[in-house]
Amino acid sequence: MRKLVDQISARLKEQKIEEPDSEIEAQLKKLIDDFRVPESEAKRSVLNHFLKKHGIPLARTKSQKVKIAEITDPGIWVDLEAKVIDLWEPQNETISQTGLVGDGTGAISFVKWSKAALPNVEIGKSYFLKNVVTDAFQGRFSIKLHSRSQIEPLDHEIKTQTETAVMQEMKIAEISEPGKWINLKAKVVQLWDSNSETISQAGLVGDETGSIRFVKWTKADLPELEEGMSYLFRNVITDEFQGRFSIKLNKNSQIEELKEEIEIGTQSVEFNGTFVDIQKGSGLIKRCPVCKRSLAKGICGEHGKVDGIYDLRIKAVLDDGRRVQDILVNRDATEKLVGISLEEAKQMAMEALDHEVVRSLIETKLMGRYFIVVGPRVDRYIMVETINDSLPVKVNEIDDLMSLIEVD
Amino acid sequence: MAGFLREVARRIFAEELRNSNLAFRDGDDLNQYAPQYLLTPTGARCNRVFLVGTLTERDDIGGDTEYWRGRVIDPTGGILVYAGQYQPEAAQALTNIEPPAFVAVVGKPNLYQTEDGSVIISVRAEAIQKVDDSTRNRWILETAKRTYERLEALKNISLASPEFSTADKPIAVSPAIDAERALAHYKTDTMHYKQMVLRALSSLRADIGNDNAKFSSKDVTIEVPRTPETGHLKVKSESTGKSRSKSTKGASLDSWPEAEADDDVETFHIGKKS
Repeated sequence: MRKLVDQISARLKEQKIEEPDSEIEAQLKKLIDDFRVPESEAKRSVLNHFLKKHGIPLARTKSQKVKIAEITDPGIWVDLEAKVIDLWEPQNETISQTGLVGDGTGAISFVKWSKAALPNVEIGKSYFLKNVVTDAFQGRFSIKLHSRSQIEPLDHEIKTQTETAVMQEMKIAEISEPGKWINLKAKVVQLWDSNSETISQAGLVGDETGSIRFVKWTKADLPELEEGMSYLFRNVITDEFQGRFSIKLNKNSQIEELKEEIEIGTQSVEFNGTFVDIQKGSGLIKRCPVCKRSLAKGICGEHGKVDGIYDLRIKAVLDDGRRVQDILVNRDATEKLVGISLEEAKQMAMEALDHEVVRSLIETKLMGRYFIVVGPRVDRYIMVETINDSLPVKVNEIDDLMSLIEVD
Repeated sequence: MAGFLREVARRIFAEELRNSNLAFRDGDDLNQYAPQYLLTPTGARCNRVFLVGTLTERDDIGGDTEYWRGRVIDPTGGILVYAGQYQPEAAQALTNIEPPAFVAVVGKPNLYQTEDGSVIISVRAEAIQKVDDSTRNRWILETAKRTYERLEALKNISLASPEFSTADKPIAVSPAIDAERALAHYKTDTMHYKQMVLRALSSLRADIGNDNAKFSSKDVTIEVPRTPETGHLKVKSESTGKSRSKSTKGASLDSWPEAEADDDVETFHIGKKS
């Protein structure tokens, strides 16, 4: 409440208006406590009340000029001077343009609604974006341009963070926030088939600290990457989806081939959860003798019909009630965990005339039980190095939780 | 780019699950392939649930084809679990498990509306597995934690502030929105669910205290309430016998909700197998 009063009083002083704090507070209290108006709405309405009282036109105070880094709340009206860094393909007809704008403090995604009937913006040009509203989705901010917004081209150029700051070279494990421009030295671990025309290449790059997904946009018009080659990626932007980071290579990015080869390392992570699915391809499988990939009906995706080598593994999903985690358990760990050797598994399958019996056995041993797994994260999997039963619940665990709830 | 994302299996106590009656599809209601969710009173949006409890009975209630129904009990009550021809592995498992036994169930919550308009929540099992008591204990603790977290999220939302949404705004998916929606729909009594969590925890504490003190555990079936009545008796006798420090709890333990109304719905589902 105090904070709100101060904010309002400060804004009023800007207009050379002096109002006693007690008066402001009384108004706020009435709205928030008696009429359950949300704080941001209450603030706006109290502010408008006093401005009106002193005959200040409202439009001037509707939005305030900010830098991108200052955007910390959704639902705020702001003015912004920014340069269009990138434009993306709108996903539906209600959006006329969408992309990324930046200033010296950062970058933020924007959406321009079709209904707004605003002029189109161009990549590389700077604009004054007036009366835009901030929004948040899963903790990330964006701005929305709608019918009451205005777009004015600027004469001077707004330098974005990439242009003003010396790019920070980061390691993959250090990437901890989306929307940051970085340089990265990494090796292309894997290239995936792109399923969209807007994406020219996608896959996995790694350095000595870990690996991360990347997407190279078709529009970026960058050279093709090759699997196994190391590169210096300049001006790439970090992104996040459901807690996992990726990097995006866009028009502002550059790629340089490196002579030295980057060693790929991995960092171990721990996950504590219960088995909710033992997936197809678990148990007794056959692998291609050349590329070690698992075979589907005796056929390798790469090498056709081959004489497979038997292997034992678990491909499963752990779940802690908040997140799901895919895991892969290799032969050694599987043998220990399930208490069956590869030879015994083969024997079992032979007697049953069906490989599936091994998966069923694994299911009966693991489904619904709690485990702690540790291993490096590779794309969406944890490659399990150790797996242990969760410890039995201890009385103090219960007491701790109970006292936490009781004092609440 | 996102691809297929597996739904998290939510941890919900049976009582809360049974009190749920709000089901919806994600985004466009007309899209029959959009995932279906059940929103619980504390704001858990579940397309999948994971529960561990005691299987107390199981029957084949199908006609020509097998259709298995089991009843799984946790410290707060019971829930019906179904497995038919489209869940062959779960049905097979149900066939083979002799009740009473601790079971873990992964499945989809199912909302059924009876002709008189009351709503019955059951779980269509994807997988059922017999487990030990340590898994069951871990689940109770974990479910208590998750439920408490949801209650905390509810606290931060005031019902009288319906976020006024512009048509521009895409439907956001976030726990806060779910909490708000749950509050608006259920007018959730958070105190009630807090008490439910505490009751579950104190009964778990009593169970574990039992084991630690090496009390004779000759009769395993006693350990888990088959009905709220026996459960309540058991907990009461323990709390007097062991003289728990928090003596005030005795009162709240006596107030188990009377919520076994779905006992008499033996046949409701047969006509509507889907």
